[in-house]
Amino acid sequence: MSKNFFEIKNVDFNISGKTKVKNVSFSIENEGDVICLLGPSGIGKTTILRTIAGLEKIDKGSIELNGKLISSEKINIEPEDRNVSLAFQDNSLFPHYTVEKNILLGAERNKEKNGKKISLKEIVDLLDIFHILNKYPHEISAGEAQRASLARSLITQPDLLLLDEPLSNVDQSFKEEIQVRLKKILNQLKITTIIVTHDSYEAFYLGSKCGIILNQELKQFDDPYKVYHFPNSIEVVNFLNRGILIPAKVTGKNTLENWDLGTIEGNFIKEYPKGSNVQLLLQPEDLEHDDKSNLKLEVVDRKFRGTNFIYTLKTPSNTLIPVFVHSHHIHQHEVDEKFGIKRPIHIDHIVCF
Amino acid sequence: MRINFWYISSFFISIFVIIPILTVFSSFFETTSNYYQILKDTFLLEYIFNSIVLLLCVLILTFLIGTGSAYLVSFYEFPFSNFFKWALILSFAVPPYIYAYSLTAFFENYGTAYSILKNLFGDGNYNRHIPKFDGMIGVILSLSFSLFAYVYILTRASFLYQSQNFIDLGKNLGFTKFKMLYSIILPAARPAIVAGLSLVAMETLAEFGAVDFFSINTLTTGIYNSWITFDDLAFANQLSFFLLLFIFALFILENLSRNKAKYHFNTRGGFRQKQKLKLNGKKSLFAFLFCFLVFFLSFLFPLSQMLYWTIKFPENLFDLQIIDLLSNTIYLVVLSSIALIIFALISNYGNRVTKNKTLNILSTLSISGYAIPGIILAVAFITFIAWLDESVVKDLLPFSIKKIFIGSILGLVLVYFVRFYSLAFNGIKSGYEKINISVDESSYLLGYSKRKTFMNIHIPFLRNSLLFIFILISLEIVRELPITLILRPFNFETFATTAYISASEDLLEAAAVPSLFLILIATSFIIVTSKYILRDNNE
Repeated sequence: MSKNFFEIKNVDFNISGKTKVKNVSFSIENEGDVICLLGPSGIGKTTILRTIAGLEKIDKGSIELNGKLISSEKINIEPEDRNVSLAFQDNSLFPHYTVEKNILLGAERNKEKNGKKISLKEIVDLLDIFHILNKYPHEISAGEAQRASLARSLITQPDLLLLDEPLSNVDQSFKEEIQVRLKKILNQLKITTIIVTHDSYEAFYLGSKCGIILNQELKQFDDPYKVYHFPNSIEVVNFLNRGILIPAKVTGKNTLENWDLGTIEGNFIKEYPKGSNVQLLLQPEDLEHDDKSNLKLEVVDRKFRGTNFIYTLKTPSNTLIPVFVHSHHIHQHEVDEKFGIKRPIHIDHIVCF
Repeated sequence: MRINFWYISSFFISIFVIIPILTVFSSFFETTSNYYQILKDTFLLEYIFNSIVLLLCVLILTFLIGTGSAYLVSFYEFPFSNFFKWALILSFAVPPYIYAYSLTAFFENYGTAYSILKNLFGDGNYNRHIPKFDGMIGVILSLSFSLFAYVYILTRASFLYQSQNFIDLGKNLGFTKFKMLYSIILPAARPAIVAGLSLVAMETLAEFGAVDFFSINTLTTGIYNSWITFDDLAFANQLSFFLLLFIFALFILENLSRNKAKYHFNTRGGFRQKQKLKLNGKKSLFAFLFCFLVFFLSFLFPLSQMLYWTIKFPENLFDLQIIDLLSNTIYLVVLSSIALIIFALISNYGNRVTKNKTLNILSTLSISGYAIPGIILAVAFITFIAWLDESVVKDLLPFSIKKIFIGSILGLVLVYFVRFYSLAFNGIKSGYEKINISVDESSYLLGYSKRKTFMNIHIPFLRNSLLFIFILISLEIVRELPITLILRPFNFETFATTAYISASEDLLEAAAVPSLFLILIATSFIIVTSKYILRDNNE
């Protein structure tokens, strides 16, 4: 048996006879850890959660929870016997019960369990749902229903909590606050959790580890920092959409040369022989703006993002490069104007493919 | 696939219901007596011709009355429009055979019409001038006024969910009210109208009481005669098979004619509740008169006729063992409804949790019992029991099982079960369709077993639907005639059989009292469930 609290080994995830994600392996080392699975819509993230919950069967590999085999080709512990809770994306509250009754149905499970218990009041305060307790599911908004469903799942205090896009319907203004509260409560209660989301910011904030699922595979499973800064494939770069790949030639141990930007210095995370032609990952925060620089590129677009602007610059070879500039920067540039890039260009960790 | 309690129960329930249906089909290949030759040379064509004429006329009339009244109460406001909205469904309380008795009682020589004219204008030779609604016309009227509510209810429900946006769109395109009706409103309600007409068609082809009373020979009476008069079960079954083909052909024809047209509206966002148009002057009077006339002819008229005779001949009231009839009826209703609901619930849940294709096909076949006339089912049941007794049981048991099943409460309830299984199954199924499958999954994930999910989550959710189905089945059983007539135990009568027996002995006055009780009981059932029947609360 595995020493990890939760472990998936070589599992193909299927639904309605179709394989959605192949040969997946990952683990959660300690009880109470939170991990996130990221991927585009329809890729099979929900199928993974449904399978872990026991709602779908597997014909290859194994899933273990707390030292117990719960799914394999031959064994499939029924969902009701797993002590795994899944909060569905579409909330699935029982329509004929009030929100309070719905949540209390969840409380019936594990009432014998030892350890710290979360009360209805705590959960109601946490998710700010006091005002809807006496309402029926059809009388509340989608965001409120999602929070009620989350409350029902949390109150069961399962061995493993699975959250499918838990905050997708929650208002943007309230989302961050709920994220903070959720992280705190999961931490306090030490509930091991797998969260599925397509929001990378949410995943990076909530998860101690993130898995990226693309093209039927788990492409990367790592710390959020590493996933963002050290993506292991071009697909992950494209999915995160936080940078571009530009052609470059390795010119030394710590240098590269690009036709438009000139010399780029930094620390390679992987060694390449001198003279190799590579694709360099350039993220918006890698380049610095400098009005006095003689490296000038044309502004083709400017997006205001509150704390910063993202400029899209066109190089002489028609490559489009994104650059962050703090929104308090004194001199903002209009489209078609020239934009200076500080030289020499230094990138802390150079990622190439 | 896991074989569990739910799978096995659902499997056997479906098989049980399918057996009599299969018996009808298998009988097609059996040899028959020379009655077939006699019939072929004499009446068979007449049977078929009469059935077709009856069917077409009833369909046209129920379409006009049903959609006309549904259109008026759904789109316009006029005096008593809210009253008519539910009053029009009361016609369900009057089975066609009781309507036929009323029609005859009113228009016959020296009947109620004659008495009214005599009281108003003194003695006279009025019989010559009073029209006689008997024969084919009598059957058509009886069936149409008794069955139009199927079309009315379903069409009105469909009108109810037509968005104001469609109406506004029509106005925007410059359509007149008439053009709006035939190019937007009616086509959009087509599946509902057709569903209503299909039910009318099935009931018409299956009708026994009224056609027998007016001595019109149809395929249904042919089945009865070949069995009762010529003791030819095989040929009765073969005629049944033809009748079934007729019913299925109607379904197929409609499905083909629909082609690829879609009738589902996306009601998420954009749906606007219709605003009823207030009618004034002549238009308002016309709408009122139309609905009143339909209400009067379909419900008040037969009710008053039966009430009039009950008061006029009170001795019949005292002759009748009302308590016995009532307890017999309640006994059958409770026993059958509860059995139907329990087994249909189990079967539905079995289908839901096992998601098994074989089970699904079996369930679909099992609900075709409603399309099969009661008289056919009764005959098929007797055929099957006779076969079972002769071929299997005789060698195993020292006694015959015929006495256990034929002419017994058990046999009666079993055939009711087959006949009305689709009502229970489909009713519960539509209730289940409102429960998203993720509700079940949530329940499992909260630690509830399948049995606990069924008992603690599903049953409370379906409570209202179950009550509605209970009343609907009760209503059908109270009105049911041919199965009860054929399979009831000796000396066991219901209001329906008592009325039929009196009427067939030409004692219409005596038929009035049981008919009146039947109408009153059925009316009370309808009133209790009217809000569900009308679907105003989106149930």
